[in-house]
Amino acid sequence: MAAIVIDRVRKSYGALTVLKDFSLDIADGEFVVLVGPSGCGKSTMLKILAGLEAASAGTIRIGGRDVTDLAPGDRDIAMVFQNYALYPHLTVASNMGFGLKMRGTPADEIARRVGEAARILDVEHLLERRPRQLSGGQRQRVALGRAIVREPQAFLMDEPLSNLDAKLRVHMRAEIGALHQRLGVTTIYVTHDQIEAMTMANRIVIIKDGEIQQIADPETMFERPANQFVAGFIGSPGMNFLTARAEQGVAQLFGTSVPVPPGADGAITVGLRPEHIEAGDGPVTFVARPNLVESLGSEKYIYFAAPEDNRPPGFLTRSEEDRRGDRLIARLINSGPIRIGEPVTLSFDPARLHVFDPASGRAIR
Amino acid sequence: MAGGRFSLDLARPSRQHWLGYVLLTPAVLLIAAIIVYPLFVSIDLSFQNVGIARLDQPRRPFTLANYERLFSSPDFWNACWVTLKLILVVTSACCVLGLATALLVNNRFRGRSVARLLVAMPWAVPEVIAVVIFAWIFDSSFGLMNWVFLSLGFIDRTINWFSDPDAAFAVVATTMIWKGYPFVSIMSLAGLQSIPEDYYSAARVDGANALQRLRFITLPSLMPVIGVTTVLVMLWIFRDFSIIYVLTGGGPLKATQTLSIMTYEQAFSFFRMGYASAVGVVTLVICVVAAKLTMRRAPDTL
Ligand SMILES: Nc1ncnc2c1ncn2[C@@H]1O[C@H](COP(=O)(O)OP(=O)(O)O)[C@@H](O)[C@H]1O
Ligand SMILES: [Mg+2]
Repeated sequence: MAAIVIDRVRKSYGALTVLKDFSLDIADGEFVVLVGPSGCGKSTMLKILAGLEAASAGTIRIGGRDVTDLAPGDRDIAMVFQNYALYPHLTVASNMGFGLKMRGTPADEIARRVGEAARILDVEHLLERRPRQLSGGQRQRVALGRAIVREPQAFLMDEPLSNLDAKLRVHMRAEIGALHQRLGVTTIYVTHDQIEAMTMANRIVIIKDGEIQQIADPETMFERPANQFVAGFIGSPGMNFLTARAEQGVAQLFGTSVPVPPGADGAITVGLRPEHIEAGDGPVTFVARPNLVESLGSEKYIYFAAPEDNRPPGFLTRSEEDRRGDRLIARLINSGPIRIGEPVTLSFDPARLHVFDPASGRAIR
Repeated sequence: MAGGRFSLDLARPSRQHWLGYVLLTPAVLLIAAIIVYPLFVSIDLSFQNVGIARLDQPRRPFTLANYERLFSSPDFWNACWVTLKLILVVTSACCVLGLATALLVNNRFRGRSVARLLVAMPWAVPEVIAVVIFAWIFDSSFGLMNWVFLSLGFIDRTINWFSDPDAAFAVVATTMIWKGYPFVSIMSLAGLQSIPEDYYSAARVDGANALQRLRFITLPSLMPVIGVTTVLVMLWIFRDFSIIYVLTGGGPLKATQTLSIMTYEQAFSFFRMGYASAVGVVTLVICVVAAKLTMRRAPDTL
C-alpha cells in the first residue's frame, strides 16, 4: 500500500498531445476513479503509471519512490485489463500465480497465496480450469485474483467491467468496492461510465482531452461541478442547459425572474438537473407540453421543448439527437398520468440552478 | 402458381443442405478423379507383379512379393533412414529459422516491410530455380561456397560437394531449409500478430523479462500454429522430388535417395511399377502415422 504522486505528467504521440500537465496526489488506500469520454487519455495515464508507456515529461512516485524510469515489473503494482488478459494456455491457478512465479517465489508459497486469493474471490472450484471454460464474470474474478495475489502497492484497473452485461456489472461493482474495503490497497480505476465513478470512488477525476476538469468526491462532483462539461458529464439523464440573460442578479427563465449569483452578468448558461424538476406548483412554475414520455415504472422521463428565449446552447455533452429536438428532460417520481401533447405543470427551486459562463464554461457561484 | 409446387427451390431452409451437396459435387468428383482413383490404382498395383502398368491389360494375380522384397531390401531401409534424417534436420532448422525470422520482422523498425519481403522471398522462388542457384553455389570448381570456405580458411582444398555422401546430404538439406523456412516464418508471423498485446502488457506488469515472455506467452500461444506448420513442412519433405532429383539425383551412393526418389526410380528408370507402388503405399502409411503423431503432440490450446 502506498500513496501515489503524479506530477505534471505530459504525453505526446508525435504532434498529438494526449495528456497535458497531469498532476494528481493519491492518498494511501484511496480509491480514485479516472473518468472521461472515450479517447480523453485515461488509459494512457494508467499505462504511464504502470510503466507500459513512457511519459514525455513529469514524474511518478509510488510510496515515496520515484518510479518514472522503472520497468513495469519493478514498480510493484498490479493491473487489471479490460479484456482480462488471462493466458489461454494456463490454468486459472497458473494464471493467478504467474506474477509470483516470474519473481521466483517458491511453489508452496505461490499455492498458498493463490488459494487465499481464490477463497476471497470465490473461485476456488475453478482453479484447475482454463480461462475459456469460464463465464465473463468468472474471468473477471480471476483477473482480480491475479492482481491481489501479488499483494502490490497499488491496483490499476482499466475499464475492468465494460465487457460484462449490465446486471453482472452492477454486481461486480459492489464486489470490487467490497474488495477495496477489505484489502485497503490504493486503487486507480479507469472508466468512461460516470455511474461506476459515482458509485465506487472516494475521489473522482474527470478528464477531457487530456486535461483534468475537476477532482472531487462524488457528492461535490454532483452538487458543485466546476464547469459545464463536468455538470453535463455527471448525472443520468444529463443536466439540462438553457440560455438566459442576467442583469443585476436576476435572469428570466420560463417567463419568471429567478435570482442568479452576483458574478453572472449578460449572457449566461443555466443548468438544471432533470431530477430537480418536479410535478405541480413550486417556487418557479411553468407549463410544459411533453413531446415524449418514457415510463420506467417508478419514475418518468418527460421530454419537452425549452421556451423560445431560453433555447439550450448548441453544444456540449448531450447527444446530437437531444439537441436537435431542443429537448429538456424532467425526471418525475410519483407524478400522475402524463400524456404526450397535454399540458403538465412543472416547477423547480431556483436554489438548485447551476450558472455557467457560456464562453469558458466555468461555473459562476 | 400452378408449377410452383414442383419447382425446386434450393434456397428454402428445409432444402439448404441439398444446395450444399450440389455445390460440393464438382469438387468431390474432381478429387475422386485425380486423387482417390490413382490412389486405389497404386494400392492395387502394389499387390501385383507389374512392369509397365497399363490400364487396358487384365489384372495380374494377387501377390505380396513386392512388399516382401521391399522389407528385405537394404535400399528401402536406406531410403527410410535418409528420409528420416532429412525430416529431422530440415524440419527443426525450418522451425528455428522460421520462428526467429518471424520474431525479428514482427518488431517495429524502419524497413520492416522490406525485411518481411526478403524473409518470404525464397518461398516465392520456383523450386527448380532455387535448385539451379544452389547447384551453382555448391559447384565444386567455381562455386561460391568453396570460395567462401577457402577464403575463411575452413578448408585448404575445394570440396567436391556432389561426390561426397555427407556433403551432398548437407547441400540437399541446406537447399530444402532455404526453400522451406519462409513458410514457417509466414505462418508464425500470422500467429504472432494474433496474440493480444494485453498478454505482453500483463506479463510485463507481472515482472516477466523478454525471455520469460517468449517462453511463457509467445511460444505457447504459437503452439497450435507451429504444430500444423510442422506437419505441413514434414509432408513437403516426404513428397519433395524436384530439389533432390535435380541436385543429386539421389546419389552419390544413394546418400540422398529418399522414399519419393526411390519410388520414381523404381517406376520410371527400372520400370517396376508394382514395386514402386509398394514403396509409395508404405510412404503414405508412414506419412499418415507421422502426421498423426505430430498433431497429437501439439496441445489443443486456444
Ligand atoms: N500508441 C499511440 N499512438 C498514437 N496515438 C495514441 C496511441 N495510444 C493512444 N493514442 C491516442 O491517445 C488518445 C487517448 O487514448 P486513450 O488513453 O486510450 O483514451 P481512453 O481515455 O479512451 O482510454 C486517443 O486520441 C488515442 O487515439
Ligand atoms: Mg481506454
